[in-house]
Amino acid sequence: MAKSVRRMLGDQWVSGARGPHCYGIRHLSPAGAYHLLALLDEIKPTAVLIEGPSDAVQLANQLVSPGVIPPVALLAYTEQLPVRTVLYPFADYSPEYQALLWANRNECDVDLIDLPTEITLALIEPRRGLSVPSDESEAGTEEKRPDLYARIAELSGEPDYEAYWERYFEHNLAPGAYRHAIARYSAEMRSLTEEEELRLAPHESAYNEIREAYMRRKIRETIAAGHAADNIVVITGAHHTSAMSEELPPMTDKELALLPRVRSRMTLMPYSYYKLSSHSGYGAGNAAPAYFELLWQCMRQGEPEKLPSFYLSSVAARMREQGAWRSTASVIEAVRLAEALASMHDGVQPTWKDLRDSATILFGHGEYAVVAEAFAKTDIGTAIGQLPEGVSQTPVQDDLNRELKRLKLDKYKTLVAADLELDLRENRRVKTEEAAYLDLNRSVLLHRLTELGIRFARRQRTRQADATWAEHWVLQWSPEAEIEIVESTLKGETIELAAAYVIHEELLACTEIAEAAKIIRRAGNCGLPQVAGQAVAALQRLAVDAGNFVQIADTVRELSVLLQYGSVRRIHTEALTPIMKQLFLRGSLLLVEASGCNDDAASGMINGIHAMNVVSQEHYNEVDEQLWLSKLNDLASRDDRNAKLSGYAFSIVLERNAASEEECAREVSRRLSPGIPADLGAGWFEGLSLRNRYALLSRDYLWKQLDAYIQSLEPEPFKRSLVFLRRSFASFEPREKAAIAELLGDIWGTGSEASGEELQRSLNEEEKEMLDELNDFDFGDL
Amino acid sequence: MDQKQDVLRLPAEKLYAKELEALKENDKAERPAGWQLSPKAVLTFITGGKAGNTVITPKYIGNRRLVEMAIATLLTDRALLLIGEPGTAKSWLSENLTAAIHGDSSKVIQGTAGTSEEHVRYSWNYAMLLAQGPSEQALIRSPIFRAMESGGIARFEEISRCASEVQDALISILSEKTIAIPELNREAAADRGFSIIATANTRDRGVNEMSAALKRRFNIIVLPAPSSIETEIDIVRRRVGEISASYQLRSALPDEETVRKVVTIFRELRSGLTLDGKDKVKAPTGVISTAEAISLLTGSMALAGSFGDGRVSDEDVAAGLQGAIVKDEEKDRAAWKEYLENVMKKRGASWRSLYGACSEING
Repeated sequence: MAKSVRRMLGDQWVSGARGPHCYGIRHLSPAGAYHLLALLDEIKPTAVLIEGPSDAVQLANQLVSPGVIPPVALLAYTEQLPVRTVLYPFADYSPEYQALLWANRNECDVDLIDLPTEITLALIEPRRGLSVPSDESEAGTEEKRPDLYARIAELSGEPDYEAYWERYFEHNLAPGAYRHAIARYSAEMRSLTEEEELRLAPHESAYNEIREAYMRRKIRETIAAGHAADNIVVITGAHHTSAMSEELPPMTDKELALLPRVRSRMTLMPYSYYKLSSHSGYGAGNAAPAYFELLWQCMRQGEPEKLPSFYLSSVAARMREQGAWRSTASVIEAVRLAEALASMHDGVQPTWKDLRDSATILFGHGEYAVVAEAFAKTDIGTAIGQLPEGVSQTPVQDDLNRELKRLKLDKYKTLVAADLELDLRENRRVKTEEAAYLDLNRSVLLHRLTELGIRFARRQRTRQADATWAEHWVLQWSPEAEIEIVESTLKGETIELAAAYVIHEELLACTEIAEAAKIIRRAGNCGLPQVAGQAVAALQRLAVDAGNFVQIADTVRELSVLLQYGSVRRIHTEALTPIMKQLFLRGSLLLVEASGCNDDAASGMINGIHAMNVVSQEHYNEVDEQLWLSKLNDLASRDDRNAKLSGYAFSIVLERNAASEEECAREVSRRLSPGIPADLGAGWFEGLSLRNRYALLSRDYLWKQLDAYIQSLEPEPFKRSLVFLRRSFASFEPREKAAIAELLGDIWGTGSEASGEELQRSLNEEEKEMLDELNDFDFGDL
Repeated sequence: MDQKQDVLRLPAEKLYAKELEALKENDKAERPAGWQLSPKAVLTFITGGKAGNTVITPKYIGNRRLVEMAIATLLTDRALLLIGEPGTAKSWLSENLTAAIHGDSSKVIQGTAGTSEEHVRYSWNYAMLLAQGPSEQALIRSPIFRAMESGGIARFEEISRCASEVQDALISILSEKTIAIPELNREAAADRGFSIIATANTRDRGVNEMSAALKRRFNIIVLPAPSSIETEIDIVRRRVGEISASYQLRSALPDEETVRKVVTIFRELRSGLTLDGKDKVKAPTGVISTAEAISLLTGSMALAGSFGDGRVSDEDVAAGLQGAIVKDEEKDRAAWKEYLENVMKKRGASWRSLYGACSEING
């Protein structure tokens, strides 16, 4: 079923004397379903055989249980990695699905007669490796013969093949017409393409042979089981109908035993119209599932002629939703135009193409782009299928559904993205523990899903940056997510076990402390204390050899977050404190040495110093804050380290009031004294200005010093210092710049406001010229 | 094209009189009221095919579906508005549709800034008006008025060039299908089959935006520039052939190679990209339409016929290219030069002589 739907063949060779009734379909064809039901009602068979994996009969029978809402899909996957999957989607208007429902209503035997999935999956590799690169069987052959379909469309005078198909097959509701037309049509098509397929895609062709031989075998088995041949209806893709003949040999036991097999499992999953539409892969799609469903509903009510008005009104309604007003009069004109187009093709009623073209003219004023979004919504829609509880699923799917229900998240299982704000703190106003920690448990589940790479939940930034208790998620279900859930079955039977498995695997491969610390945090987020414990042990082991300041600083920061987090997350963090202490100590000792680096490495160092400093303040009880400060002081006063880092260290010292006014003035004048090379002096100032600006702005001796220093520079070094100064002032806010201008005004004695204005007016020509001259200045490697 | 060979340009219904005749004879399908052909026969007339033994030449090449939609629009009594860039065969399609459906494509209003409401509705013969007062004889009917009376199709060319209030005079005509003549105290109602085909230009300067109320009364079809180079070459060759026959240019038709070169240059300059998509090209300021490629080639034929040896040479084409591409002197000249140097020069031997001729003229 998950294969192309266009190759169909005849029934005239088999539907003769007392053979099984072979009914060829195009998958996902409303008219196919309509005529099939009529045929079933007429023949009243005792057995219905459907093209579908023969080991999925159990699951297929579950599809008819109450509460199942198509689109749904049957997913088969290999038990071992790499996971191979095949997918058999069903819409409400799938003939196969309607046949299942009919058989259930009429208590008739149902069997699926295509190759079992263990063989189908095993054959994927040989087929893919050797023939056309297409994973869904016949799609490849179709692509090679576009001319054939284009020819048919051209001969029929239709704009494309789909329009031809719809006009001549979907709209023809005369009794029996569909069956005979499609049989004849497919037989001709098959004879046209068979030879070429044999030549161009021999493996595809062979695969087809195998499937058909197997299907014949199953038909015989059914007859042997006691069903009268003419009480059997065989439903296959029309391409295979002619190969169902009793005259052709069925597959023998020996042949069957020779076929390769892999261990496979199957599950049912909700599917979506979006996936079903050919927009997104899987050859079995049709472009407008929601449109075809509308067609199907109109057909069942016996009023297909109502379709154009339904369809066009809903396109207009969608446009109105977007704020583009389209009147009812336009809808009426669009229906008339579509009907005129249909009449020019001698059609019974407009095709999808006719309707779309009319809508483009009437609603889009000739521009497709105007209507495109409304089309997408009307043709595809956001419908997703539903499976009730108890209908077969993988353990992980079951587990997830249970969890979603428990955490009241099941309403988020839609195609439309929805926001979810979580407050992880205990809710003390409720009675049960379950309710008190509802958001925390939700967060744990969502984190686990993220770890498993399931695209159901995406974490967004929270508005309050450092709040450890707030999380913002966006939840959106999609069939891909469902497939990913099924795939994680291989990692564990429940979401919890699977997540633990993934994190543990990563832990085994981890060689750096920062990474190990992150894993602790992730395990904590996922509510996996055991894995977290293992990660702590790993971290301890790795910490012994750690010697990179930046890494250590990152780890320390990570651990500090975890420690604060602990109470919210309810995880045990006692074991972390000694590690953090130890690493903090080592980081402090490494600081001065690591600061002898170039400017490129300095930015990483600055982040590290910042992280260490934050930790030293937040955990002043646990870590050796004094040592850290003395090391910072050391760095600040050293001349042989990176000037920017020295400046940065000094700014921290300043910020924490660890230097007296005098010391500070002395240091500034030392750093900015005449004769110091511009890149050192100004670079130092750049580092200084990276932190708290108000600490700088409130110390006017600093500006006096800077002013004196700049005035002392010779023209050449002055130009060099410009680069650094410009860089450090670039990140100042306008408000801060204004404050500096006023400060300087005071220093120069020109009055704060006047100089402020003077400094901030726009440049005159002469000044511009001077700046332009700088373009030619050789700044060396700055 | 028999005794009227000396007419400079024949209307479509005369030019293709034989084809229309053949279609009429072979047309068995039902004809809508006021139509002289069935919708399918109209489609055949426009997109080409056969009627009995007569070959029907395609008039509009490219998108058959658009033509279907245009005919379906007229079937539903709606007015049709063809929109597109200059040279996308809007007027050509409108003329041929009118000729096929109504048999008379001469009821035309040419929209200009000077078009007034009287041109759209009716005006008076003032001498008679003064002498007799308002009377049927003194009434001068507009083409739309005449089309309403005869149940035919009126054409409104370049509707967007008219002032908005003149355009809006159409609103009542299109919704009521009547023209009121208060002076005579009567209303002229449209016969079945009446419709209007308007054309409008999207790219040119000096156009007026159409009101939403008017747009709603039209079915709007956007005519695209030819989608592929083969289609465009086909169009150019066909039209050049037809025009040269009626203008009696004493010159052989330009060969396939020349047409291909011109169309290639036009397409590349139009899209700002070489055909292989590898190089960007600076596009000139003006619009470079298929229609201009056609007139360029017929112009080159005239040059070759009158001053050359009767065969279109690269020099003749180069002169035409210069005129068609360089409109806004300096900028275009630079763009054209850039194209010559960066693209054409590198195209190898077959382009060498055209390149030489072009750069000589461009200077």
